[in-house]
Parts: sequence; C-alpha cells; structure tokens
Amino acid sequence: MRVCVALCGLLLVAANTYAGERQISLDWLKTVAFAAHQTDYSGVFVYQYDNHVETSRIIHVVEPDSEYEKLESLDGPKREIIRHHGQIWCYINHKMVQVDSQQVHGRFPSLLPEQLSALSSNYLIKEAGMERVAGYPTQVIMFQPKDGLRYAYKIWAHTDSGLLLKAAVLGDKKQVIEQYAFTQLQIGGNIDRSWVGAKDFAGHGAGLPVSPETAMGGTVINSGWVVDALPAGFKKTREIQRPMRGKHAPVTQIVFSDGLSAISIFIEPADGDEDDVDGLSSRGAVNLYHKVLDKHLITAVGEVPPRMVMQVLDSVRYNGK
Amino acid sequence: MKKEISALMDGELFEDEAENLLDQIKRDSATHKDWEIYHLIGDVLRQPEHIHCDLSEKVRERMQDEPTVLAPRGRAVKQKVRAVALSAVASLAAVGVVAWMSLQVSPEAASQMAMQQSALRPASAQIQPKSNDYLMAHQEFSPSIDMNGGASYIRTVSYSTDEK
Repeated sequence: MRVCVALCGLLLVAANTYAGERQISLDWLKTVAFAAHQTDYSGVFVYQYDNHVETSRIIHVVEPDSEYEKLESLDGPKREIIRHHGQIWCYINHKMVQVDSQQVHGRFPSLLPEQLSALSSNYLIKEAGMERVAGYPTQVIMFQPKDGLRYAYKIWAHTDSGLLLKAAVLGDKKQVIEQYAFTQLQIGGNIDRSWVGAKDFAGHGAGLPVSPETAMGGTVINSGWVVDALPAGFKKTREIQRPMRGKHAPVTQIVFSDGLSAISIFIEPADGDEDDVDGLSSRGAVNLYHKVLDKHLITAVGEVPPRMVMQVLDSVRYNGK
Repeated sequence: MKKEISALMDGELFEDEAENLLDQIKRDSATHKDWEIYHLIGDVLRQPEHIHCDLSEKVRERMQDEPTVLAPRGRAVKQKVRAVALSAVASLAAVGVVAWMSLQVSPEAASQMAMQQSALRPASAQIQPKSNDYLMAHQEFSPSIDMNGGASYIRTVSYSTDEK
C-alpha cells in the first residue's frame, strides 16, 4: 500500500513537471508572438529552400496607431512589400501597388487562446537548448507534430526580447524544407522611420496609392463549398469573399489551420484558359495545387506537405443550394 | 518460428534478430503467410470494423498510381536518367515502406505514408510568379505571421533564377 502511494506521488510529480514544462513553452510562444508585433527592429535575413538562397532587409517599427513594416529584397529583381494595419502594398511593374486591405481588429494582433490550444493538441512543444544566432543568445523551441501529416518547426527566439531570429521547417526525416535566419539585426534604438510618417500612407495625400479594386477588403460569407477530407487537427478559421488583384470577380477564400500551419482554398469562376494551371507546384514549405471543378478554378495553398494540399483539394465539393 | 514472429510484432526482438527474421519472411512464402495472418488477427482484435487484407499489395498499387512530377522541364536527357534513377530508388523505398508498414499497422499508418511518399517525390515544379497573389492572400491568414512577423512574406515575392 505504501509503495502504491509513493508511486502515485511520483507519478503526480512527473505529471506536474510535464505540465510545467508545457506551460513554459506556451509562455514562450506568447512572448514570441508579442515581440513580433511590438518590437522595433531592423535587420538582414537569409531565406533558403532547395538550392535557392536570397537575402532581404526588414524594418519593423511600432507607432502609436499600429505597426509598420517594410520588407525588401537585396538579391535579384527589386521586390518590396509594405504592411500597415491589414493593408499591403507590393512593388509591381516599377511602382507600389496596393494588393490588399483587410479589416484588422485591435491595434496589434495576438495569439488567440484557441490557437494555442490547437497548437498544443497537434504538436509536442519542447525547449531544445540555447544557441547563438546573429550574435544574440536564443532559446531553441521544437514543434514536433504528433502525427506524420504535417511539417515540424524549429524556432530560435531571442532570450531577452523574444524576437524570432531563426526559423526552420523540417520534413519527416528532419531534413530542412526551408529556413530563415537573421545575419544582422538591430533591436530597438535608432531605427529609420523616414518611410513611415502618416503623410506617406493611404488617404493622406501623396505616397502609397489606394486601389479601389482591393480597398474594400473581404466580407465574411457562407459559400456553400466544403472540404470532406480535412486532415486531423485542422479547423476552419475564416471564410470570406474577397477581391483579388487581377481577378474580375471576387474570390472565395476558406482558411483552415492547426494552430501553426494553414491551408487556404480559393474558389473562383473558371474563365476557360486554365489549361496550363493543373497540378502541383511548390516554393519552400508552401505547396500549391490547382484544379478545375464544375466550371470553377479551385486552388489550395498551404505550408503543409504536398500530399496534404492534394488530399484537401480533391475533397472539395459544393454543398450549397 | 511463430513465437518469433509474434515477438517481432511486439517489438521484443533485438535489431539483428529482427533483420534476420524479416529477411526470412521476405524469402519464405509460408513464413510470410504466417506474418500476414498474425497481422490480420491483430487488426481484427484492435479494430474489427476495419480489416486490412494483404495491405502490402494495396500499398504497392497505390504507389504505382502516384504521379511522378518532374521539373524543371527542358533538360530532357538528364531528366530521363534521373527519372530512371529515381524510380529505382522509389521501388527500393517501396519495399522499405511495405516492410515498415507491416511493422506498425495503425490507423495513422495511411496518413504517415503520405509523408513518406512526399519525401520520395521528385521536386515538383516551382510556383509560378503569376500565383504570387494566392500566396500573399494565404499568408495574411496563416498563423506563421504571428511568429515570424513579416519575414514569412518573403515567400510571396521570392523569385527563382530559372524564371527568366
């Protein structure tokens, strides 16, 4: 009897330690998400997948109204993205074009409790030691999927600020599918804000243009399209009808997420010249799969293994009136 | 012999013993039959509503139906050699997968197969720049943005050197 009690006690202690460790990991995630939105930083990072490597500069500043972010390529053709409060501009054909404008609730997005619980039910989260990245000490955190359906993630978070300094997406053999890593980074301090200034942004005179095509953003709908073979752990997080650059008609977008990765399904009327679009293509961890179904062009995009975007897309059907 | 097979299924054999036995199962059809029957029994006990009969055959069929996407186009000769090499690798791997599958028949096995196969699949085509808008629209709602911040947007505008 006494042995039994001792054993139970031991088990309890073990369970507590486990729960404690999990809590620490979840706390880390909250810190990382907070830091991503609420830290001023400027740095250069490398993005790599397959035999492709490119360098980019990112500047992120926090203003009283919201955050501003500029991402520009340092290799190859000029590419630039500016983001501010759900609005996105992109450098296309030698000028900045507004590509999207979505409603954002709250000044700064943060991790939702349901996202955290989805995360911990689909992934084993554990701390994996300390490493140095871009001259800063970091905490390494592993997200190991509980099944073989999704990629594993490994992140390196700055121990002081929580900023993500390196992130890798890993396949089932621990091979790197894609990774980002800062090579140089300034956190806080004197960061170039000359490009921010309210005057330069939409609706305030000169500067970045507002596009009537995209300005109205997305509206929440119930499209009637359903996915039958949704992989375990994925839940619908959004279903909207949205304008999309270069499309004549609004596009339906349905987003599913397991807390860490997501799959979007886009549904639009097929205009007959889609012969060349069928099939699977990829870029780093993102896979894209197109198909024409009932006079609609359907596209699945997600940072999930190729098999999963195919499975999801192949099970899309119309269940409406 | 039956005792050994049962021990193997329970994961109680040492690695070298297991390898020898697996070898024998592959060569000797009677042993192979025993092996299948044992698994069938196990399946029935575990999930009577869903019974696999000769799973290995079905796995092999599915593997053959899998598309082999080869890219980029334009280097025909090299590609052919690679295709042959890859299909050789794939069939070797298929044997491996079958052996592995038999070792752990579980409800998740089929989905894990998906992952195994995606690892075998030759690199698929690069996402075309004209699809960047889909990537951008997806990125906005992907949770990766909460962690990585704007850095993950690099995917939406990444270029490839063989684009031009």
